[in-house]
Amino acid sequence: MEELFNPQVFFYFLGLPVTKTVVSTWIVMAFLVILSWFITRRMNPVPTRLQNIVELFVEAIINLIEGMSPGNGRKFLPLVGSLALFIGTASIAHLVPGLKAPTSDFNTAFALALVVFFAVPFYGIAMRGVRGYFREYVSPSPILLPFHIISEITRTFSLALRLFGNILGEEIIIGIFFLLSPLFVPIPMMLFSVFTGVIQAYIFTILTVVYISAAVEVHEG
Amino acid sequence: MQGEILFLCVTVFTAGFSIAFGVVFPALGQGRACAQALESIARQPEATGPISRTLFVGLAMLESLAIYVLVVSLILLFANPLFRYVFK
Repeated sequence: MEELFNPQVFFYFLGLPVTKTVVSTWIVMAFLVILSWFITRRMNPVPTRLQNIVELFVEAIINLIEGMSPGNGRKFLPLVGSLALFIGTASIAHLVPGLKAPTSDFNTAFALALVVFFAVPFYGIAMRGVRGYFREYVSPSPILLPFHIISEITRTFSLALRLFGNILGEEIIIGIFFLLSPLFVPIPMMLFSVFTGVIQAYIFTILTVVYISAAVEVHEG
Repeated sequence: MQGEILFLCVTVFTAGFSIAFGVVFPALGQGRACAQALESIARQPEATGPISRTLFVGLAMLESLAIYVLVVSLILLFANPLFRYVFK
């Protein structure tokens, strides 16, 4: 159980400790890059089986964005799609023996939430201009300015904590089941953790889309 | 020694108690949200898509309250900053 809470340092790189989380993140990244390269190596107008699955995923993300912010599906696809793919893969990485789910480390979860934190003003300013975006902060009255700023910060923390808490909680439950009886008993819980990981990726993605589409939405008056 | 043991007891008790109480109310809220969404879907099955999307966002918001409690009790149990002062 101890290894769930204390960072395990693998080796030192230029004096910086490289923990199990970082190594797991590298493995997840390598897996995704190699898989993407393998699938898009020979793209066919008539998709093969793997290409079909990926096309389905891309179309689902585009439809998700189009449902909330019509006309912007292609524009937000790179960010939202990568977040969904990475979190979905990273959250079930602890099923591979020897790996730790990178998102069960608060640093990874907070880094992902920071990406969203900076992407919201980026898209907002890119699509509505500096004045148009910052007018949102003082509408309907300048008294609400501190509350807008506080809500930006707290929702970043809640994004990070939600992802981190869910995935870490799942890992702890599997760890406890392993302590009680290591054979067969943890398997239902591990299957359930696949469900939890995918749901958390979906929720992170959908909240990202909600925040970004709220920032790029043009209000009248 | 007496004080340290009391500190440990109170910490463990608080962690367990906060999970027990902190999970009740988000669970009630999530139950209500689910029930309402099911009712709306039953009444208007063609609106399943938007309803379930909104339901997921709402559930995530409620879920995060329970997750805050989990994080607090994990901190109490495994990363308590006060341990340093009690156990020199």
